[in-house]
Amino acid sequence: MEIKDTIEKTSKLKMYWVLFYTFFKASTFTFAGGLAILPAIKHDLVEKYNLITEKDFMEYATLSQTFPGVIVLNFASLVGRHTAGFLGMIIAGMGAIFPAFFLMLVATILAEMIPKEGAVLGAVKGIRAASAAMILSAVFSLGKYNIKNAFSLIIMISTFMLAVFLNVEAPLLVILSALVGWLYNRMIRNKHKKQKPENKEEESQNGND
Amino acid sequence: MEMIKLFFTFFKLGMLGFGGGYAMLSMIMTDARKFSITAAQFADMNALDMVVPGAIAINSATYVGYLHSGFTGAVVATLGVSIPSFIITALMMRLFKRFENNNWLTDILSGIKPMAVGLICAAVYQIGAEVLFNEGKSFSYLFSDPLGAVSVVGVIIFVVSAVANIKFKVNPILITIIAGAVGAVFLK
Repeated sequence: MEIKDTIEKTSKLKMYWVLFYTFFKASTFTFAGGLAILPAIKHDLVEKYNLITEKDFMEYATLSQTFPGVIVLNFASLVGRHTAGFLGMIIAGMGAIFPAFFLMLVATILAEMIPKEGAVLGAVKGIRAASAAMILSAVFSLGKYNIKNAFSLIIMISTFMLAVFLNVEAPLLVILSALVGWLYNRMIRNKHKKQKPENKEEESQNGND
Repeated sequence: MEMIKLFFTFFKLGMLGFGGGYAMLSMIMTDARKFSITAAQFADMNALDMVVPGAIAINSATYVGYLHSGFTGAVVATLGVSIPSFIITALMMRLFKRFENNNWLTDILSGIKPMAVGLICAAVYQIGAEVLFNEGKSFSYLFSDPLGAVSVVGVIIFVVSAVANIKFKVNPILITIIAGAVGAVFLK
């Protein structure tokens, strides 16, 4: 009730502005993606302007990481539509896109302008080597959460093989792995259903596999 | 025609891009071959992604689009990767409500998440094959002429950067600056 009253007091135009400004700020101060800026967005939207309840906010944060697509943008469109309908979704999304787009555009143009020879070429080569290392680092940080059993390890290795040696494209790999994951889990569940009455112990062992 | 192809390539990535920035980055890499983006340019792009604020996927779309066909290309690729978010969140919320007690999403994600890690490994391999070797050399030379094939300074920068970031959590921007300075002195 309290929140509804506040929304009515806040004019629609101001709400659009708050959405745009919040996600503009979130995108500007987030380096290397993700939702690192979540606490700041939460402070603005939940506490300062009362546009959304904390429970909904946290649910959207989780969902936006589960859905495919750009995480910040998923989040912006969920929150935007919840608070101000279709237009709110577009405006919040634009807020998230603008800084990332324009700053990268400027950076790309500058990077293309620099003559790559001598010491500058050396610097670029050094940065490329470090850049490869940062991507390797992403393997470790994501692997920690997502490679937990033999099944996920097999999927990871087969994906690598298919992508590197057979040049299989990413979208096909996504569909294949989704299918394999779905079938595998169904299989396990059916097996457990059959065994359920007798072997409770074995079930828990399988779970740790 | 080229613009439509560019748009739909990124639209497809937006629709199927599970797992956040780096996973999408490696997906963009397997697709960017169509637009004659080299692995070295890809490494440059990743370095810029780290220094420039904003979502990695949007940064990357802007970069690939700009190299492909200037400002228009950048706008087209960025729209392509962004629009799916608006569609999917609306669609998925509806599906989610209907299948709330069904495990299908968790099930397919148990396959997709490790796949994303595998794709990132592939990106490391492909970028490494280009930036850690001397010109014209690759992994196949590793046995016949290892010292002539690899760029020794490049490999040292790679290993030190990886350990510094993975083990000691050194800031990527700081690593980028130091790697650039070391390269300017030893790799010119």
